[in-house]
Parts: sequence; structure tokens; C-alpha cells
Amino acid sequence: MKHVKFYSFLLLILLLVSWEMIAGSMSELVLPAPSVIFITLLDGIQSGYFMPHIIRTTTEILLGLFFGGLFGFIIGILMGESEFLRKLLFPYVIASQAVPKLALAPLFILWFGFDITSKVVITALICFFPLLENTVTAIQHVDKQKADLFRMLKASRWQTLIHLKIPAGLPGILAGLRVAVVLAVVGAVVGEFIGGSEGLGAVIIASQGMMDTPLMFASLLLLTFIGMLLYQVITILEKRWLKPYMKETKK
Amino acid sequence: MSFLTIKDGTYGYQGKEPILHGINWEIEKGGFHCLLGKSGCGKTTLLKLAAGLLKPDSGHIYLHGKEMTEPSHECGFVFQSPTLLEWKTVMDNVLLPLSLRRKLTGEDREHAASILELIGLSEHLNRYPAQLSGGQQSRVALARALIQHPSMLFLDEPFAALDAITREELQDDLLKICQLHNTTVLFITHDIAEAVYLSDRVAVMDQGRIIHAEDVNLAKPRTMKMRYDPYFNELCLQLRQIMSGEPS
Repeated sequence: MKHVKFYSFLLLILLLVSWEMIAGSMSELVLPAPSVIFITLLDGIQSGYFMPHIIRTTTEILLGLFFGGLFGFIIGILMGESEFLRKLLFPYVIASQAVPKLALAPLFILWFGFDITSKVVITALICFFPLLENTVTAIQHVDKQKADLFRMLKASRWQTLIHLKIPAGLPGILAGLRVAVVLAVVGAVVGEFIGGSEGLGAVIIASQGMMDTPLMFASLLLLTFIGMLLYQVITILEKRWLKPYMKETKK
Repeated sequence: MSFLTIKDGTYGYQGKEPILHGINWEIEKGGFHCLLGKSGCGKTTLLKLAAGLLKPDSGHIYLHGKEMTEPSHECGFVFQSPTLLEWKTVMDNVLLPLSLRRKLTGEDREHAASILELIGLSEHLNRYPAQLSGGQQSRVALARALIQHPSMLFLDEPFAALDAITREELQDDLLKICQLHNTTVLFITHDIAEAVYLSDRVAVMDQGRIIHAEDVNLAKPRTMKMRYDPYFNELCLQLRQIMSGEPS
């Protein structure tokens, strides 16, 4: 298993080389070679063409993630704590899960305009559900003996929530956040597809219109990069916060 | 007057055969009593009832004369599993009962450190529970139960998951600490030798009733040798026969 990382890298090289070779026999319109894409990407970054789009898309993702995640977390806690609310709202949560939320994007553009607001709302809506679900589950499934311990210590409901339920549920809640990050990128891009002139999603649509396939690929690469970066940040946070929860191997 | 009194304690879940049938039991101040019984005989339910975690359907629980309707700060409880909070250090776990009640002081920390030292964990104050062995985790749970100087301690098979040697060490530690503070103890176990070694009085439970009670006349403090004493073994055998329903 020692060399797995090396083989993994080797596979990437192999894929890129074969892509380059196959692309040589095709029109650039259909499949541009990696080298062409790379030059486009580099040019775009150097000339500053990509910068406003990257900032725009990243802002949408972060704002959407923040609001969607925050609301999901808060409502998740309320539903986890109150059986009444849980029973009242759960049918609606399930029903709204079945709604393809991306299909609502045109509606949000109608309501909130072509500006950034509509994209943030779409992204937030998509990020809301994984956080909500994971929080409700995590809050409810607290170890019975630990709950008894807190009763024995005469902890208030608030104390039990803050000192037991939320920290005990943290691994589950962070797993929800990890799912939300990936979905946030999708939400922001789809929002930009439908309306707007700024953002990497809008660049992709524009490049389609201009038949500029290398530019399309370059934007795609940037989006992948943003997604991976955010995912990494969450993973690092998870590792740091959840360190005490793990059984540590000997030093 | 007895310290803890269970009077006619009955408990059951709706529409089902009661788990406990009219239990009567008394523990004098400083007494160490064990409830012995097979799994599912209702002993954990009885312990929760006594600790105020459950309310009896009928009957009463009194702690030095006052009726108990909810858990009290005077009581400590040690659960079957250590129930430590994984995200808190050993020190903070032990201080949890105090930190839920008020702001911690330097004195509290010293006090916690002294309990942890007594119990042999002074080197692990800043570790997390996942970094400790099972025996060490049980010790932390015990230290946490002791931080508020409980006059009454309830223990629900706290050492069941430990290996024999560690269990014996912990039993000795528990006895030492309880003697030191004259703590009254109600201890639950399915291990006959553990019950005889620890307690002044053993009650045998079966199907929600106390079917036998026996005083243990062993010298204090207990020593390892007593485990191999003829009287010790005879008593174990006798209790074993009662538990399996054989006439003695």
C-alpha cells in the first residue's frame, strides 16, 4: 500500500497523455487537448479574466453555505428538541426533499432577479437539507446513559443541549456540512446557468455560445478546484474538531 | 433510622407485567449493599428508581427521611458504561457535575486532581477518554461521581466490562474511598463474588422481587486473601443456589 499514492499520480499522467493523443485526432471544438486547456486557463488567470468570475462564484457558494447551513442547523436543533415541531414539520421536510430543488432556480430568478441574491438563495436551499437532516438525527440519537447522567446531574434542557447533544452530535453534523459543500457548488453554478452574466457558470454558458470549448473546460477545472478546496477545508476542520473523538494510535 | 428507604416500590411499563413488585429495602448510613440478580430481573430499574431517575408507580423512596421525587445532588451515579464525554479531557469530565452548577474555581481543580490521584490517574489529567484503557475510563467515571462528595452512591455494574485483575483493583479502590467518606452505597452486579466481596448486605433479585437477603460477615478492610476464604466461597455457593432457584 506504500506506493499507492505514486500509482495514483501515475494514472493521472497516463490519462492526460492518452487524452492529449486522442484529442490530437479530433477537432478542438469537440475535445480540446489538455495542453490547450491549460494554456487557456493560464491566459485567463494572467489577464485577470477569470478573477471576477471566481470571486463571484465563491461568494455565492460561501454565502449560500453559510445561510443554508445555519438555518438547517438551527431548525434541525428545534426539530430535534421538540417532538411537536418534529411531527408537525417532518411531512413537509420529506415532501420538500422530493422536490427537485434545482428546478426551482428559474422561479427564484423571477423572484429575486438576476443579481447575486437569487443564486445565494438557490445555494442556501440546497445546503439547508443535509444540515437539517443530520442535525435532527444527531440531536436525537444521544446515548441513553449519557442522557441519564445529565438528568442525574440536574442539568437544564439548555445545558443538556449545549454540553451534551450538540457536541455528541458534532461528527454527524459535520458530515452533513461536508455533503452541503459539494452541493453548494452545484447550486451556485446552476443558478448562474439560468441567469446572470458573472460567475463561472455564466462563463460556461457564454463559452458554449462562442463555441469556445477550451474555455468551457478551463472554467470546469476552476470549479472543480474550488469544490476540492472547500472540501479540504471542511475535512481539516473535521479532523481538528473531532480529534478527541477518535481512538488515537500510539505515538 | 435508615439512610435510604425503598418502601413498597412498584414499577412497570403500561399494559405489561410490572418490572418491580412492591420492593422494600433499607440501607443504614455508611452501608454498602449489593443487589444481585440475572440480566432482566429488574435490578437496573430498581437502581434508577432509588436514584430518582424513574418515578415509582406506587410506593415511596426516602433519602434520610425526605421523600425523593427527582435526582439529588447528594447522590452520585456510575453507569454500566463509563459514559465519559469524548470531547472533554479527563479533568473536565471529572469537573462536569460542578461546571453545570456554577463557575469553576482553582479549588475545584485541585479537588478534582486529588480525587484523580487517589484513584491513580494523576498522569492522565489532560488526556481524552479515547486515549485511556477501559479500566482507566471506569476510574474517571468513578471520580466524576465522587466530585460532589455524594453521601449516597449508586453503581450499575460499573466494572462488568473489565478484566478480572483490573476489576479487583477497582473494587478495592471503591471500598477504600467509600470507607474514607462514610458513603452509603447501592451496588448492582450479576457477579456473585463481587457482591460478597464488596458488600455488608446482599439482596438477591428475581423477576422483580427480592427473594433473599443476607448479611456478609467479613472483616474490614477486605483483603485479596478473603476471596479464597472458606466462608467466602460457601456464601457464594449459597447465593448461587438461591439465584438458580435450587433449595439450599
